[in-house]
Amino acid sequence: MEIQRQFRNDLNLRVRVLSVIVSLLLGMVAGGFWWVQLVQGGHYRELAENNRLRRLTIRAPRGTIHDRQGQLLVENTPSYQLLVDRSRAEDVDASLDFAAELLDRPRAELEENLQRGRRQPDYQPVPVARNLTLAEVAQLSAKSLEHPEFEIDVGHLRLYRHGPQTAHVLGYLGEVSEAELARNGAAPHFQPGDLVGKKGIERHFDSVLRGDDGERMVIVDSRGRLMQENARDDAESGVDLVLTLDLGLQQEAERLMRDKVGSIVALDPRTGDVLAMVSSPSFDPNLFASGIQAADWQELIGNDNDPLQNRAIQNFHSPGSVFKMVMATAGLSEGVIAPQDRVYCNGSVTLHNHKFRCGRLSGHGSVNLEQAMAKSCNVYFYQLGNKLGIDRIERWAKAFGFGEATGIELDNEKAGLVPGKAWALNQRGQAWYPGETISVSIGQGALGVTPLQMARATAAVANGGRLVTPHLLRSGSTLPEPRLPASADTLTLVRQAMAGVVEPGGTAHLTAGIEGLRWGGKTGTVQVAAGQIGVPHEDRPFRLRNHAWFAGFAPLEDPEIVVVVFNEHGGAGSTGAAPIASDLMRFWFGRDGARPALVAER
Amino acid sequence: MSGAFSFSEQRPALRNVTGIDWALVAAALMLALVGLATVNSASAELAGNQLARQGLWVGIGCCAMLAAALFNYRTLIEFAFPIYLFGLSLLITVLLVGRVAGGARSWLGYAGIGLQPAEVAKLTTALWLASYLASIDRRTLGLREIVLSGLIVAVPIALIALQPDLGSAAMFVPLLAGMLLVGGIDRKVLVGGLVAALVLGAALWFFGLHDYQRQRITSFLNPNADPLGAGYQVQQSKIAVGSGELTGKGYMQGTQSQLRFLPARHTDFVFAVLAEEWGFLGTLAVLGLYAMWIVNAFRIALRAREKEAVLLIVGLVSLFSFHVVYNTAMVVGFVPITGIPLPFLSYGGSFTLLNFAITGLILGIDAKRYVNA
Repeated sequence: MEIQRQFRNDLNLRVRVLSVIVSLLLGMVAGGFWWVQLVQGGHYRELAENNRLRRLTIRAPRGTIHDRQGQLLVENTPSYQLLVDRSRAEDVDASLDFAAELLDRPRAELEENLQRGRRQPDYQPVPVARNLTLAEVAQLSAKSLEHPEFEIDVGHLRLYRHGPQTAHVLGYLGEVSEAELARNGAAPHFQPGDLVGKKGIERHFDSVLRGDDGERMVIVDSRGRLMQENARDDAESGVDLVLTLDLGLQQEAERLMRDKVGSIVALDPRTGDVLAMVSSPSFDPNLFASGIQAADWQELIGNDNDPLQNRAIQNFHSPGSVFKMVMATAGLSEGVIAPQDRVYCNGSVTLHNHKFRCGRLSGHGSVNLEQAMAKSCNVYFYQLGNKLGIDRIERWAKAFGFGEATGIELDNEKAGLVPGKAWALNQRGQAWYPGETISVSIGQGALGVTPLQMARATAAVANGGRLVTPHLLRSGSTLPEPRLPASADTLTLVRQAMAGVVEPGGTAHLTAGIEGLRWGGKTGTVQVAAGQIGVPHEDRPFRLRNHAWFAGFAPLEDPEIVVVVFNEHGGAGSTGAAPIASDLMRFWFGRDGARPALVAER
Repeated sequence: MSGAFSFSEQRPALRNVTGIDWALVAAALMLALVGLATVNSASAELAGNQLARQGLWVGIGCCAMLAAALFNYRTLIEFAFPIYLFGLSLLITVLLVGRVAGGARSWLGYAGIGLQPAEVAKLTTALWLASYLASIDRRTLGLREIVLSGLIVAVPIALIALQPDLGSAAMFVPLLAGMLLVGGIDRKVLVGGLVAALVLGAALWFFGLHDYQRQRITSFLNPNADPLGAGYQVQQSKIAVGSGELTGKGYMQGTQSQLRFLPARHTDFVFAVLAEEWGFLGTLAVLGLYAMWIVNAFRIALRAREKEAVLLIVGLVSLFSFHVVYNTAMVVGFVPITGIPLPFLSYGGSFTLLNFAITGLILGIDAKRYVNA
């Protein structure tokens, strides 16, 4: 719209007013630069020359870890580390040469550590060597004039008081990896050189244990000496954890498994508290605390038995005859068998055109449930499995928690495998055939369970049908505890039958019976090599020996502890696993003052 | 040949080019060159090739400036409302499918080429506001017109605040203020409004708010940084600027910048690099170039024939000036940090393009002043 003459002057006046306002603002900005650059310029020049402002991390002390009685399992000890400030180094290579020679460490190691900080700004000191001795600290401090790029920092070192005895549960720390740094999300701010939990409790509860690092903004002079603190955001210590572990029981279990391959799990069946969890062979987590040496690492990963693996949760095997406790519960609950129903065992039975053998070739004669369990008669359970069918067996196995991770607070837990018709078609690509049902009835075939799952299932039998969540944190688990679809009477019958195993006439009476204690359990033997049947245990090469299982609970009335032993290549369950479980039960109930009733009876 | 015909049809436009305001062009080009040099210095320690990318954007920007100058701005005024709606639709699109950068969902991008719709919306909003205010045929604006103008601006502000990019959203306020002032707001209303806002704001800030609430507002304006972080940035920027003193440390010699103390040194804090390396003299020279751009743009407004043209220029110059004033004041530590770039100097495609387009638009308006459209 053409501007009418009478408005033109007014409009132009308004434009001029606006241009004056803008000019004034620009003038004020120019005045600001005059003030900062000319009037205060000298002050800022000094600050710039001295490279003053620096953000320093205040490390939060990591939380300690205790056993159920409050005994210390992990603590922090002071340790010194060497850092390099690249912005102050005249020649970083020369600095590394100097440090490597003084500390007598491989230069490549220092260089590798320095490389981890390459994404950080130059002025951010990068740790290059940990665990300095006081003598080394003194030598370095003496050279601080010639080498202003070096800084010493007091950090904390993790000390695992019981080393290999608690290694798999507690885990260990390691330097944050490049991958972890790269996916460093918004919440935890890792810096190169930070230690993070790599395994076990240390990893699972890393965010809780590590606390919140604080930060200081400080002014330092050109030699790195602190002149003034500008702002401070204090560190918040990590949370101390109390575990369900019983240190004494844990140590005893570790002692019993030493020189063997396998694992022990002890649970309180009433709560799911993990009282002991041992995997053998073990390792010393203290090796990792100050950065593991290459030779130690090679030794660990070169060991065929993989000491780093937690066999209680990362390894699944056929349960063997221990599975009969699940079969018995299922048979009774489904009404397929009654306690007094008898089956005649003549050493084998032919089902689906295949002859299935009993463990005792001459047969057990006429057996009821209690006798079949005590003597581990396969023929009885073949017939039971045949009547139940795979669908019901699969359902009951899953009801006992097999085929899914238990949810314990440890990473990399395996789910195991419960086979069935759907699994056969979808996973295996080959239809289920009836003979497999018979194998599964005695815990063989594709069925695979972890020792921890086995302990949980045994706990469900022991506590009257609650599928507790095994947990390591004393404060307990919040996961739901589903009920087995089995009556209390049924489970009492199963417990009675399992008591027969360690009583006269049972498979484990001679090897595992405890005078003065009524308890129950079940042995299991997993065939490793079919070609070795008939060859005595001692005459087989180690890798061809059978695996030994034992799952037990005690006392018979109101059980307070469940012990599961899995001894890889340990032979028969009755000789390779039951005695270990028995020894651990004796320890638990025989501790001075711990169980007066038993001590008195002995 | 038809080509000869179409060429002759272009003649009026070509004639317009001869009437160009060369001082405005020179200011824009010199600022862009200073920008390239400073970005080069500031990004010396960074990965990627910022200089080449920014150079490409300046080249595209020059083309955009030429195109905008040749374009008949009356067409834009005529279609101001659909264009405004188009700007809003871009803002809505970015909320739905935009990419997140620096905590805000602010980018529309495809195959490595990105666009910030907020920059486009500044232009489209100024356009419709100019067309609306010019249509009011009175000496002073009534309350109804003021409220309506406020609404025109409030819609894009709200959409941008949702990203959330408070800094960009705030830039619409000076745009509105400048255009209302020239559009005919009553002096008493203006002065009264300003005084009331200042007094109320100050009273609220100093007496009405607790410390933590103030801090919350500060960190709301700057969501990326904790208080410690923001303090660090301001402090480092002031050290860079101050240590430049009268003559500076020399090109590529700024210790603050080259030693990586200064965050965002090639984008929002590029002026700190310039101030450190060229000193107060360099600062004054560049502020002088900005003044040259602003003064010439205002002169064009004074001689424009149409009210729409005057208002459009005023809106664009207000926007431009506020960017300059706020960014430089932020660099020297006078105002809180928000993500507001410096025209022609800060590294960034959309914003560079916007400033060249604004310059071209103003040139085009000027060129049409003798023509009976």
